[in-house]
Amino acid sequence: MEAEPPLLDVRGLTKRYAGRRRGGPPVLALAGVDLTLSRGSDLALVGQSGSGKSTLARCVARLEEPTSGEIWFEGVELTALGGPRLRPVREHIQIVLQDSATALDPRFSVVEIVSEPLEIMRRGDRRERRRRALELMETVGIPPGWSARRPHELSGGQRQRLAIARALAVAPRLLILDEAFTGLDVSIQAQIAALLRELRARHALTYLYVSHDLALMGELADEVAIMFEGRIVEHGQVSRIFADPRHAHTRALIEALPSLPAPAAAPGL
Amino acid sequence: MSVRAGLPVALAALTAVHLAALAAPFLSPYDPTEQNRTLPYAPPTRLHVIDGEGRLHLRPFVYRMARRGDGEGYEEDRRQSYPVLFLARAVDFGGAARVHFFGVEEPARVFLLGTDGFGRDQLSRLLHGARISLFAGLLATALSLGLGWLLGTVAGYYGRWVDSVLMRSAELFLALPWLYLLFAVRAVLPLRVSSGQAFLLLVLLIGLVDWARPARLFRGMVLSARERSYVLAARGFGASDLYLIRRHIAPQTFGLLLTQAALVAPQYVLAEVTLSFLGLGVSEPTASWGNMLAALQQYHVLVSYWWMWAPGLALLAVSLAYYAVSEGLNR
Amino acid sequence: MVSLARRALHGLLLLLGVSLLSFVLLELAPGDYFSEMRLDPRISETTVRELRARYGLDRPLPERYARWLASVARGEMGYSFAYGQPVGRLLWPRARNTLLLTATSTALSWLLAVPLGAWWATRRRGAADAGLAVLTAALLALPDLLLALGLLLVAVRTGWLPAGGMVSLGHEEMGPAARVADVARHLVLPVAALVLGTAPMLVRYVRAAVAETLDAPFIRAARAHGLPERRLLIRHALPAAANPLISLFGLSLAGLLSTSLLVEVVVGWPGLGPLLLEAILARDYYLVLGPVVASTLLLAGGNLLADALLLAVDPRIRSDS
Repeated sequence: MEAEPPLLDVRGLTKRYAGRRRGGPPVLALAGVDLTLSRGSDLALVGQSGSGKSTLARCVARLEEPTSGEIWFEGVELTALGGPRLRPVREHIQIVLQDSATALDPRFSVVEIVSEPLEIMRRGDRRERRRRALELMETVGIPPGWSARRPHELSGGQRQRLAIARALAVAPRLLILDEAFTGLDVSIQAQIAALLRELRARHALTYLYVSHDLALMGELADEVAIMFEGRIVEHGQVSRIFADPRHAHTRALIEALPSLPAPAAAPGL
Repeated sequence: MSVRAGLPVALAALTAVHLAALAAPFLSPYDPTEQNRTLPYAPPTRLHVIDGEGRLHLRPFVYRMARRGDGEGYEEDRRQSYPVLFLARAVDFGGAARVHFFGVEEPARVFLLGTDGFGRDQLSRLLHGARISLFAGLLATALSLGLGWLLGTVAGYYGRWVDSVLMRSAELFLALPWLYLLFAVRAVLPLRVSSGQAFLLLVLLIGLVDWARPARLFRGMVLSARERSYVLAARGFGASDLYLIRRHIAPQTFGLLLTQAALVAPQYVLAEVTLSFLGLGVSEPTASWGNMLAALQQYHVLVSYWWMWAPGLALLAVSLAYYAVSEGLNR
Repeated sequence: MVSLARRALHGLLLLLGVSLLSFVLLELAPGDYFSEMRLDPRISETTVRELRARYGLDRPLPERYARWLASVARGEMGYSFAYGQPVGRLLWPRARNTLLLTATSTALSWLLAVPLGAWWATRRRGAADAGLAVLTAALLALPDLLLALGLLLVAVRTGWLPAGGMVSLGHEEMGPAARVADVARHLVLPVAALVLGTAPMLVRYVRAAVAETLDAPFIRAARAHGLPERRLLIRHALPAAANPLISLFGLSLAGLLSTSLLVEVVVGWPGLGPLLLEAILARDYYLVLGPVVASTLLLAGGNLLADALLLAVDPRIRSDS
C-alpha cells in the first residue's frame, strides 16, 4: 500500500445541533467520526437518512462547523483555520451538492455559473475566466454554444455536469459528491459515472461519494464506509464489504438490496 | 381581458402626468397664488370656435366673465372675443418673465377649471399641486422602500441579535394603525412651516414612518434566499458576505421592490393629500391637491361648485393608473 | 389558553412600548412642550402647580413617564390643556364611538364579503366574474378620502341622511328606541364609507381563499362522491378557508382603523379621529397621546380576538401548542 500520509484524515468529529423545539433535546448528527481517505482511492459514505453522512461531507467541505474533532487534509488541520487562511485550502476540496436545481442560481447563465469560483477567488481577468469556463464546459460535455443558457433550460443530468464543471474550476484534489446521483435516470447516472471516471484520470482527483444507494456505490467506489446514527460502523474495500459484512447494519443494508452485485473484483483495478 | 394592455397604457399615463407636473410653470396659464378677487368661484371658461355670427374660427377663443346682474353666478360678456394665444410671454406674479403654453390677452381670463374662493386659477393650482403631491409620494416611496430594503436585508442576512432587535422595533411601529402613527409623529413637529420645509417634512415623515412593513417583507425574502444551495456553494468558494448579497441575494429582491413601489406610491400620495387636507401638511397659499380638496368641506362648495372636485378626479386617475400598473406587474 | 394569555401579555408590552416611544418622541421635538404649557394663559397658576405636582412637568423624562403611567392607572391619562380636564374623561366616549363605528363596519363588511366572495369563487368566467372584478378593482383604487367626500355629497344633496355628527338635536328628549334609531341613522354614512372602502379587498381575498379550497383534493373527492355543490361550499369549503380568512381579519384591522380615522374627520363622526386632530392642532400633548394609545389598544384587542377565533376554529393549531 502507499506510504504517503492519507489525503483526508478525520478524527473524532462531532456535530451537535440545537433541539428543534424550544427546550427540546439537541440532535447529535455526528458522534465522534474517524475516517481516512487515501489519494487515488475513492470512498463512498453510505447510510440512510439521518445517519450523518451529509453532515460529515459538509464539515469536510467546510460549509459547516463541527462541534469538536479534527479534520486533517494533506497534513493541514482545517478546523483551526479561519477565513483568509482557509482560502488556499478551499481550492483543494470541492463539493457538488445534491439537487442541482437549487444548487445553481437560476439567474446566472451557464458560463457565469462555471466561472463564478474563479471570480470569487479572483483568478485572472474576465476573458481568461471565460476561456477557462468554456474549457471546463467542454470537459463535462456541455456545448460551448450553450454558454448563455439558464439552468432551467438544462436537463437534470446536464445541470449535474454543470455543477461538476463548476467544482473543477479551481482544480481540487478531493471532490465530494453529495447525493449527486439521486433523482437522475439510471442511464443519466451511467453517463455521469463515466464522466467522473474520465475526469479522475485526467485531473488526478479523488472522490468522496455520499449516498444511500449501496448498489451504485459498489460500482463506483473503491472503499465503502457505512454510517449509522452519526458513527461509522464499518469501513473497508468494496469487495470485502459485500462478501463479508461484519456489522448488523451493513448486513441489513445489503439484504435490502433488490439483487446483490456480482462478487467481482473492485472497479478501478 | 383588456387588463394586459393596461400596463403600458397606465405607465404612459403616469409618466405623462408626472412630466406635466414638472412642467407646471410652463403649462399653467397663471401663477397659482395670483388672486382675482372679483372672480371668486367662477365656473370653467368655455372655449368657443363658432362666434356670434356663426363663423368658424380655427383658433379657439373666449369671452370675458362678468358677474350677473342679479348677483347669482357669472355670464359671458359677448361683446368682445379674445383668442387663445400659445407660447405667449408674460410677466408673472413675482415679476419674472416666463413663457406660458397658452393664455389670453388681458383683461380676459381663461380659467379652464374655474376658480376658487380667492379667484385663483384652479388649473394652475392643479398642476403646481401635482408637483407637491405626486413627488412627495414618489420621494417618500424611495425613502421608505430604500430604508426598508436596507434594514430588512441586514436583518435577514445576518440574523441573530441584529434580526431580533430590528424585528422587535418593527413590531412596535406596526402596533399602531398607520395613519395614527403618522399623526402621532406629525404632532411633535412644528405646525406652521414654510412650504419648502413642509414638503421636506412630509417626505421624511411619510417615508420614515412606514419602514417596518417593507423591512419585514425583504427580511423574509433574504432569509430564505440565504439558505439556498447556490449561496452555500458560493460561500464554499470563499465568497464574502458583500459578494453574496450583491450577486445572489439582492437581485432576487428587485422584483419585490418594483411591485411594492407600485403598491405603496399611491398610498403615499394619498397620505400627503390627506395630511394637507386636514391642515397638517402643505398650507396656503402653496397649492397641494390636499389643501385644494379641503375647500370641499364647506357646504356650498361641496354642493354647488363641481369644478372644485378637479383635484379629486386627478387623484382618482393617478390612483387608477398606479393600480393598473401594480396589477400588471403582478402577472 | 396559555398561548392566548401569552399573546395578551405581548400586546400589553407592545402598548407600553408604544407609549414610551411616544414619550421619547416628545423629547426629540423642537421646542419644549412643558414650559410652553406653563406659559399658556388658559391655565391658571394653581392648575399649573397642581399639574406640576401630578405630572412632574419639569422633571426628567423617566419620572414624567412614570407619573403618566400612574395617571393611566387612575383613569386620567394625563391632562388636556385645551379642554381643561383629564384626558381619560374625554377619551372614553370617543373610543366607544370609534369602536361602535369600526365594529359595525367590520361586521357588515364581512357579512357582505364572505357570501359574495364565496359566490364569486364559483363563477369562473362570464359576466358575473368580469363585472365583480371591475367593480372591486374600481373601489380598491378609489381613495378613501374621495369616497368619504362623495358620500357626503350624496347625503347632503339628497337629504336622506344626516351629514355629520352622531346625534340630532333633541336627542336627549327622545325615547330609548328613537335614540337608537337616531344614532343608527347617523351611522349609515360613515359605515357606508368604511364598508365600501374595505369590503372590496375582503371580497377578493375570500374569493381567492375559497377558490383555492374548492380545488383541494378532499373537496374533489367529495364532489366525486356526488355531494351537491352548495353543500360542498357551505359545509366543507368555507370552514376550510376559515383559517386564512381569520388571519386576514387580524391583518386588515390596522387598515380599518386608519381609514376610520379619516372617515370620522371628514364625515364628522365624534370618534378618536377628530379628537386626535384637534389635539395636534392645539398642541395639546397628553391629549395626542390618548387616542394614539387607545388606537393601539383597539388594534391589539382586535388581534387578540382574531387569535382566539383562530384557536377555536382550527384544531391543528390547538394541538400544536
